[in-house]
Amino acid sequence: MRDTMGRVLASLGEIDRDIVVITADVGDSTRASYFRDKFPDRYFNVGISEQHMVNFAAGLAATGMKPIVAGFAMFMMRAWEQIRNTTARMNLNVKFIATHSGFSDSIDGSSHQALEDISLMRVIPNVRVVVPADSYEIMRSLPPLILREKGPVYYRIGRDYSPPITRDVGEEFRLGRATVLKDGEDIAIIGAGVVLWSALEASRELERIGISAAVINMSSIKPIDEETIEKYARKTGAIITIEEHSIYGGLGSAVAETIVRRYPIPMRMLGATSFGRTARTQEELIEYFGLGKSSVVRAVLEVVRIDRRS
Amino acid sequence: MLKYPSIFYFLRGWWGDGVPIPMGDGGSIKDLELIASRIRKHVLNMYLKDQSLHLGSSLSSVEILAIIMFKYLRRSSDPIDRDWLILSKGHAAPALYAALAEAGLINSGELEKINDISSILQGHPEILIPGVDMSTGSLGQGLSFGIGVAMGIKSRGGSGKVYVVMGDGEQDEGEVWEAITHAAARKLDNLIVVVDDNGFQLDGSTDDIKPKHHLPYIWRVLGWRVIMCDGHSIKSLDRAMSEAIQSKMPTAIFAKTVRGKGVSEIENTKIQKPGVEVVKRAILNA
Repeated sequence: MRDTMGRVLASLGEIDRDIVVITADVGDSTRASYFRDKFPDRYFNVGISEQHMVNFAAGLAATGMKPIVAGFAMFMMRAWEQIRNTTARMNLNVKFIATHSGFSDSIDGSSHQALEDISLMRVIPNVRVVVPADSYEIMRSLPPLILREKGPVYYRIGRDYSPPITRDVGEEFRLGRATVLKDGEDIAIIGAGVVLWSALEASRELERIGISAAVINMSSIKPIDEETIEKYARKTGAIITIEEHSIYGGLGSAVAETIVRRYPIPMRMLGATSFGRTARTQEELIEYFGLGKSSVVRAVLEVVRIDRRS
Repeated sequence: MLKYPSIFYFLRGWWGDGVPIPMGDGGSIKDLELIASRIRKHVLNMYLKDQSLHLGSSLSSVEILAIIMFKYLRRSSDPIDRDWLILSKGHAAPALYAALAEAGLINSGELEKINDISSILQGHPEILIPGVDMSTGSLGQGLSFGIGVAMGIKSRGGSGKVYVVMGDGEQDEGEVWEAITHAAARKLDNLIVVVDDNGFQLDGSTDDIKPKHHLPYIWRVLGWRVIMCDGHSIKSLDRAMSEAIQSKMPTAIFAKTVRGKGVSEIENTKIQKPGVEVVKRAILNA
């Protein structure tokens, strides 16, 4: 994921000369280094100083530049108040690319695993939140967001693991629009990020026992696609959300906010409820924290049962 | 001295800095003093309308804002060929608003509506107010933003300068350290910081909470040009400013001020809310 992001960033640098990239000493890890190697004059490593990084970028934006802040999701949260009080309050054109989110930094353990950032960023006025599912979606979504979208965007990616979730998606990325990866009638699984792979695998297995599950990619978490959520709530009568993030305040909560207002139906949220831990691979952690295929299947069976009881 | 050789070396270098630069326009000092005194009166009058504003820390910033805004700041709509004024100590907003009214950027009738729900004048500066360059209020953020602006101006070949007014208490914030070191590394000579060194922070005197006497030395060893001056003397501020403008390094002016300046009952105390009668007397004397 980060390799793709780094390459896209470097190519965007050629298209728009106002793009500058800022990091707090994680240029290599975030792959912002690809941009640095091509445009050293438009790359700023501010040292290990995340709070300063964010406000420095805000100042650059105020002069008409298009700063892209690249950092680990976890440590960008250290500058939450700076994002809130300066960039967002002044609605400045700063893009935040947060890498190593969720369980993607598996080896580094809980200190590095951001499971709260969607929630933290979603509550800030003016800040849009996008979680691409895979490298293909990065290629579709990052250019329009950086070149055309004004104002702050929080763009959350992982590290390297990127199963081919949206390889066959032909549609253009649009803020506020979900994409249906697989249609279904009995339940809708709405997710964001690499865990959509578990949802897709689960839906194939559910098909074998006669349950037709739709899988929806809600990469634009804010603004959220309320129409698609309502449409599938009406159509399937049950929703499961899945995210590599806390169930408190993340995608699941955002979907629930729409559901309670527009068409209340039974819902289950799959996500983290604790801190992460170390493992050799991200896939192991996804399994361990109940976000693998079998956990999705189990949750679907529960919800579909509740649904039929009522 | 032998015991502290580095400090000695440092002090020597320090005094070597103070080369006075002759002032250009001698007549303007008087004018600036008059402007400052009008700004102070506005602030006191605003306090009569709303006793919740930070009076003491607004009064210590009056001359600093007066000299920047009325002698040095060049305004235009071009973000890189104009100067920027960032009030990082956003709680001195009343002094900034009073200066903006003096400059004709906001209606002076608006001043007495400060903090009213119908007023544009918010408790802390917001960019929706004409003449405000950064929304502030949370301490320690203005310098980083100012460095970004100064860097943006330089990268795009502009001529603008950036003035950041900070508090001394604000220097406690960790982000200030992050910012000081970055500006020095980038040698931003279009960046001037004025520290309103009034010796107080919210809960009391800086000496009691976290002494700040070492700060000018720290800024200096980190690569800044540091100038000290009397923050209520227009003449002293003017010398410091003109030196700072010619400096080839980022420059910090430590302007020694008196919290509550002009209201003798609260001068050099942490008191922000004197009685209304006391302030009325101060207005007559201002």
